[in-house]
Amino acid sequence: MGWPERATGNAMATARVEQPARSPGAERATPGALAQDGALAQDGARGWVMVGALFVCSTLVFGLIRSLGAFFVEFVQYFQESAQAISWITSIGVATQQLCSPLGTALCNAYDAQRVVMAGGFLASLGLILASQARSLPHLYLTMGLTSGLGWSLVFTPMVATVMAHFTRRRTLALGVGFTGVGVSSFVFAPLFQYMLDNFGWRGSLLILGGLSLNIVPCGALIRPTRKKAPPRPKAGGKADNGGGGGGGASAFRSLLRRVYRYLELSLLAHGPFLTYTLAITFFNAGYFVPYVHLVAHGRQAGYSEYRAAFVMSATGAADIVGRVAAGWLTDLGRARLVHMLTGWTGLTGVFIVLMPLASVAGSYGLLLGFGLGYGFCAGALTSLVFAGVPEIVGMGRMVGALGLLSMLESVGGLLGPPLSGYLRDRTGSYITSLVAAGCCFLLGSLILTTLPHYFSWTGPPPPRPPDGDGQEERQDAGAGLLGSPASGSTNGTASKDSDHSQTCLA
Amino acid sequence: MLHSGVKLCARLLLLSLSWGGTHSTGGPGSTLPPVVSGPPLSSDVRSVVFKGESQVEEVQVVRPLTLALECTWTGSQDRPHNISGFWRKDGSELADSRRPVLLENQQYNLRRAFSITDEEGLGNYSCVFDNQAEVDFILAAPRVGEVRDKPIVSYVGDSVVLQCKMEDTKPQPNSWTWYRANGTDKELLDPEPDSPRYQIHNQEGKTKLTVRNLTEADSGAYYCGAVYDISVTLSRVDLRVITFLEPLKPFLVIVGEVLVLVSLILLYERTKAHGPQPDNTLSDDQAHKLTPDDAGGEVTDSSTRQRKV
Repeated sequence: MGWPERATGNAMATARVEQPARSPGAERATPGALAQDGALAQDGARGWVMVGALFVCSTLVFGLIRSLGAFFVEFVQYFQESAQAISWITSIGVATQQLCSPLGTALCNAYDAQRVVMAGGFLASLGLILASQARSLPHLYLTMGLTSGLGWSLVFTPMVATVMAHFTRRRTLALGVGFTGVGVSSFVFAPLFQYMLDNFGWRGSLLILGGLSLNIVPCGALIRPTRKKAPPRPKAGGKADNGGGGGGGASAFRSLLRRVYRYLELSLLAHGPFLTYTLAITFFNAGYFVPYVHLVAHGRQAGYSEYRAAFVMSATGAADIVGRVAAGWLTDLGRARLVHMLTGWTGLTGVFIVLMPLASVAGSYGLLLGFGLGYGFCAGALTSLVFAGVPEIVGMGRMVGALGLLSMLESVGGLLGPPLSGYLRDRTGSYITSLVAAGCCFLLGSLILTTLPHYFSWTGPPPPRPPDGDGQEERQDAGAGLLGSPASGSTNGTASKDSDHSQTCLA
Repeated sequence: MLHSGVKLCARLLLLSLSWGGTHSTGGPGSTLPPVVSGPPLSSDVRSVVFKGESQVEEVQVVRPLTLALECTWTGSQDRPHNISGFWRKDGSELADSRRPVLLENQQYNLRRAFSITDEEGLGNYSCVFDNQAEVDFILAAPRVGEVRDKPIVSYVGDSVVLQCKMEDTKPQPNSWTWYRANGTDKELLDPEPDSPRYQIHNQEGKTKLTVRNLTEADSGAYYCGAVYDISVTLSRVDLRVITFLEPLKPFLVIVGEVLVLVSLILLYERTKAHGPQPDNTLSDDQAHKLTPDDAGGEVTDSSTRQRKV
């Protein structure tokens, strides 16, 4: 199963540096928020180190998940179980990774991103090491599925959030480069896993994979620890004092709930633009994997040889890698708003997906290959943009929690999409319907994107204000917790320009 | 006396003819069917029409039968009226099989019936026309198609399942047997029903050998035999048993590398932190006021910047 890119689908990037300058009044009221927007966004060498760390992490999380299919045959033979029972292993792993994403970001808000990612890497590795000792299938569900999945959820979204926090100008490019790890690793892992399975069997291979996953820990260690060691105390302002005179336990519980609510950024669930964005991304997710799953089979059904059909997939994968970097670079040129570019890429993806089966029906292999390349490029392009767009919608202060919530909510699309398309295929007997439906999911999502507020404005929406009342300053802490230790990266020419900009607002 | 003897012979001859169709009177693997007892052999015909020089035809034989093989050749450029044709088995010409072949309807025709009763009867039969053209009939019992060419790797103390599956498209065997390679011999594996180590589970078309409590001595070649009336076809499965030390070595190398990296990184961070700038951890009050003073401040000033309110 290749669910990975689903999670990479979220975020709109390029919080424009001009925005804080445009509405200084609103921002000045909450100086901390401004600092978050400007302080760390330095596009410096430190940021690129984080991009490297993101590259390694996406390799070891999603590249690994993608290549776990190599173990499938071995598990079926050893445990003598059905294919479906074995598929549950990766399903549980991916589902846990996505559903626990908010947990990952909440912990990020509460504690150090460094600690969270290091713990996540350790957990993921532990799950794989324990899995190598499995004697029964439920053991594998618990270790490879739950434990590793939990570890992966603690790694991925905090890592993405960290990279995004380090960049302003080149955020999308940084994300794009970081995410290429997924594509590159699938080329490397396929032969590597096969080699390991041939020499060590599945037990030894899982053990070695656990060791490889441990490399996430140094990546996490690269994250600058923030100046915050403990979750912030509730500010004086009556919030914590509500009912404080009465049972101390009740208010402590309430304040705990309040903190949980804040760390999970649950207030976003009432945030219109965020929900719209999430809905669109969910649709993208639903359609995203269908071509990967069905294209080869469709090619075979249309009469192409196994080799030719697989070649289309490989070409698509290569185009995907190129698309990520290219789209990241293109977006950061700043010619158009990120939302517009995202709509463009997703619309094109939908068009290409719809065209692909039509090309093979028309009998032209060249056309199929061309559309496949187009699909790969656009699909990779949109993954760079989706995460990077989040700050524009929810603001940097709530970005971290937003990423987690987004990952979790969009997973619904990813869980439902492929089975639905499989159902369509079973009903109609051909893959054309399922591929066309996937393309329509993309087109529908693009349309939903256009309903975002201020969509048709050239310069984008005003920066969002944090909701009034509860925990304003804590939220800034929460965001700042991740973005903390400002200026720890080195500053180069462009970076100083950026910080100049933001600092003039702060001055 | 002689008259009744002749009559008896004739009657026997008639009976033998009616039992199993035509028989070859010579050549290996053919015997006259028993006159009084034994089931009749089923019969089958394989005929091939070809032009050109050679062709190969695979014939699956499952039980003893009488097989008539027929070759029809369209001839070469010049078609002499009379050529010689003969039959070969496994490369050697069958005695008294050489006979003249006449051109009929622009074709040459060779037909012979073979009685395949046991494993000896299987092999490579060829009809040869004039040393110019031939058809090879490969008679064999069905073999397991998908053979795993790489050994199955397992661990000491673990259990492993070796299995063989005959494709649905091929005739299913009557039963399965398992052998273990012992030097150049194959020894039969015949475990008692409740033996702790070996267990054989046969299903229609599929067989599984479960070996428990593996030791390194269990490594080697195992053969599953598909049992047909005519013969047993073997398929090889290799087993390799290793100890946990083998994957442990690369694992420890990787863990060592991770530990080195982490220590280096944390050490670097600590020297940077304890170097020019004081500890970065602040109380919450001061953490709010993240208002940097200087534009493009250097690294060393970060915490001082935070301190200045």
